[in-house]
Parts: sequence; structure tokens; C-alpha cells
Amino acid sequence: MAPRGSLLLLALLLLSCALPRARGQHWSHGWYPGGKRDLRTPANLPAWAPRAVPARGRKTRYDPPAKSKAGRVKLPPPVDPEELLVVLERYRQHRLVLSALRAEFRAEVLQRKREERLAAQGSAEELEEHRRLMAWNEEENARQRARREERLRKEEEEQKRRKLEIAEKQARKMEAFVEEKEKEVLQLQEEAKNFITPENLEARIEECLDNPRNYNFAIDKDGRIVKRTVLS
Amino acid sequence: MPMKGRFPVRRTLQYLSQGDVVFKSSVKVMTVNYNTAGQLSEGARKFVFFNIPQIQYKNPWVQIMLFRNMTPSPFLRFYLDSGEQVLVDVEDKTNKEITEHVKKILGKNKEMLEREERERKKLSHPATFGPKKYHLRECMCEIEGQVPCPAFVPLPKEMRGKYKAAMKNEA
Repeated sequence: MAPRGSLLLLALLLLSCALPRARGQHWSHGWYPGGKRDLRTPANLPAWAPRAVPARGRKTRYDPPAKSKAGRVKLPPPVDPEELLVVLERYRQHRLVLSALRAEFRAEVLQRKREERLAAQGSAEELEEHRRLMAWNEEENARQRARREERLRKEEEEQKRRKLEIAEKQARKMEAFVEEKEKEVLQLQEEAKNFITPENLEARIEECLDNPRNYNFAIDKDGRIVKRTVLS
Repeated sequence: MPMKGRFPVRRTLQYLSQGDVVFKSSVKVMTVNYNTAGQLSEGARKFVFFNIPQIQYKNPWVQIMLFRNMTPSPFLRFYLDSGEQVLVDVEDKTNKEITEHVKKILGKNKEMLEREERERKKLSHPATFGPKKYHLRECMCEIEGQVPCPAFVPLPKEMRGKYKAAMKNEA
């Protein structure tokens, strides 16, 4: 039991020694390879990305500063004004020159590209081709115009013909009407001869009284008068 | 969600990319005058309804304007950058005829398009690999004929550093 227990203890010790690479170390010791600076985030940044080391460490953002830092005055790093001026001026000139050069090169590249494009476009054969196509388009338009005029002409003719027809029909109708009316007038004229006017009233009455007519008769199926009553 | 419009197929990418009228770079504006009624404008109406989306998709920088019921007969007018105006009479034509006509006079023909395609291809090399934005493949394991990705197919023992180290230690 005891040797078993010691064996177990030994095994545990060995295991603990054999796991120095476990992530459960203190952040300040830097035991894993590369030390504190080898922290690779789970996002697996690309190799060229700068790795930021957290500056806070033990305390959070909201903990108060330590008592020993009570009288601390944070000053910016000391700067020599002449050196600063000189350095700034030099940097300004350097950047000016560089940006001017870059702009120059960029403009040149663009210019070259544009010229190349224009040359490809405005070549002689292309213009020729364009003119030929425009001429063809004009012809097509002319053909369409001819077709349209033809169509319009036909439509006009059609319309004229229709109008003529209508006029003719109208005329015929008028004629028929006039004829009818004429016939009626003639008939009336005919009848007018037998009219009783105030002049021949007496004569007509005498005539009627002299010739009594018998309107009572019977007809058979063929329409012939069969019998006549005797006039009394 | 129901489909929008009378012929929603006009809104599909496949239909739009089937348009084969690509204007020459000198064409800037296209104007269509047509009537909403009448048998003679039928072709123009169909052209506006079916083919103009395709044309605009292929020529996003050409301005297309439609004018309805302003003239008795329908026509197309193109304004080129040299100031030239091209008039195309489309009365009594079907929409197919109109597209063919337009393609013939102001469209880029096949060899020009192919040439441009080849120029575009020259800019990028298809054999390189890297970020998806610039290359076709991201990792060497995606290229056919290369060792497949160990995430999907485990490497043979001999290629693994673990085995090699073990062999070296043994020896």
C-alpha cells in the first residue's frame, strides 16, 4: 500500500513536471516558448500583424491607482526644441517630395493608359467601319420611310374609296326617295281630278242621287260576285 | 413573398446576362420614343419591356430615356460622344429585329468582346493562390494534384513531423 501510494505520488510529480507547457501559468512568468511575447490570440492573426501586449496586467480598468502613485506627475518625454524643429522640417520636405513624385508617376501611368485607349479607339479603320454602319442605318431608315409612305398612300386610297361609296349610296337613297315622292304626287294629282269642290258639289250630288249603287253583294270562294240584293 | 411584376423572369440574373448588345464606348445616351397604343408601336413596346433591361444591365454607364406618346411614330435615337446623333426608325418592326439592328450598327462585335475578355484575363494569373479577393484559390491544398488538406484527409505517416522526429530519435 505504502509503496503503491509513493509510486502514485511519484507519478503525479512526474506528470506535473512534464506539463510545464500547460496554459495555467501565471501571466508574469513567461514559461511557454517565446515568453510573454509569444501570445498568439485564438483569432490566429497573420504573421505580419503587430502583436499588442496588454499593459494592464493585474488590475482592471476601474481599480484605483496605488497609494505610492498618489503624488505622481506624468510628464511628456523631454524634447529638444531646435532638434524638433529641424527634424519636423526635414520630414515635411521629405514627405512633400515623395508625394509629389508619386503623383507624378501616377499621372504619367494614367496618361499612358488613356493614350493607348484612344489610339485603339480612334483608328482609321474603326472610323471607316462606323461610317459604313451609319450609311447602312440611313438606308434602312430610307427603306422604312418608303414602306411607311406606301402604307399611308394605301390607307388614303382606301379612305377615299370608302367615302365615294358612301356618297354613292347616299345619292341612290336620295334618288329613290325622290322617286317615291314623285309617284305619290302624281297619284294625288290623278285623284284630284275626282275631288269634290264647292263648284261641282251640286252636280255631284245630283249625279249620286241619280245613280244609286248597291253595295250589298255576296261572293263565293273564288271572289266572284254571286248574288246581289234587290235595291229598294 | 410573391414574385413582382408581370414577367418576373426579366428580373433574373440569367435573363439579364443573356442580353448580347454591348454598346461601343462612344455611345452615351439612348432615347426611345414610342406610343402606348397602336399596332405600329407594338414592336417598340415589346423592345422597351423585354430588351431594355438586358441592355442596361450590360451597359450600366449608358443613360436610357423613354418618351411615351410624344410623336406619332416610334423611333430610337443614340447620342454619341462626338455629338453625332443616330436615328433609328422602328415603326412596324418586331423587338427582335430592333435589337438585331441596334447590335449591328452600334454594338461591339464578337471579336472585340473576346479581345477585351482576353485582356481582362491577362491581368490575373489563375495559377497563383491567396486571398479570395485576388485569387481563385486560397490554399495550396485546394489545387488539384497537390497534397489534400490535412483537415479532411490525414497526412501519411512519413510526412508528419512527429513521425520524422520519432524516427530520428530512434536512429
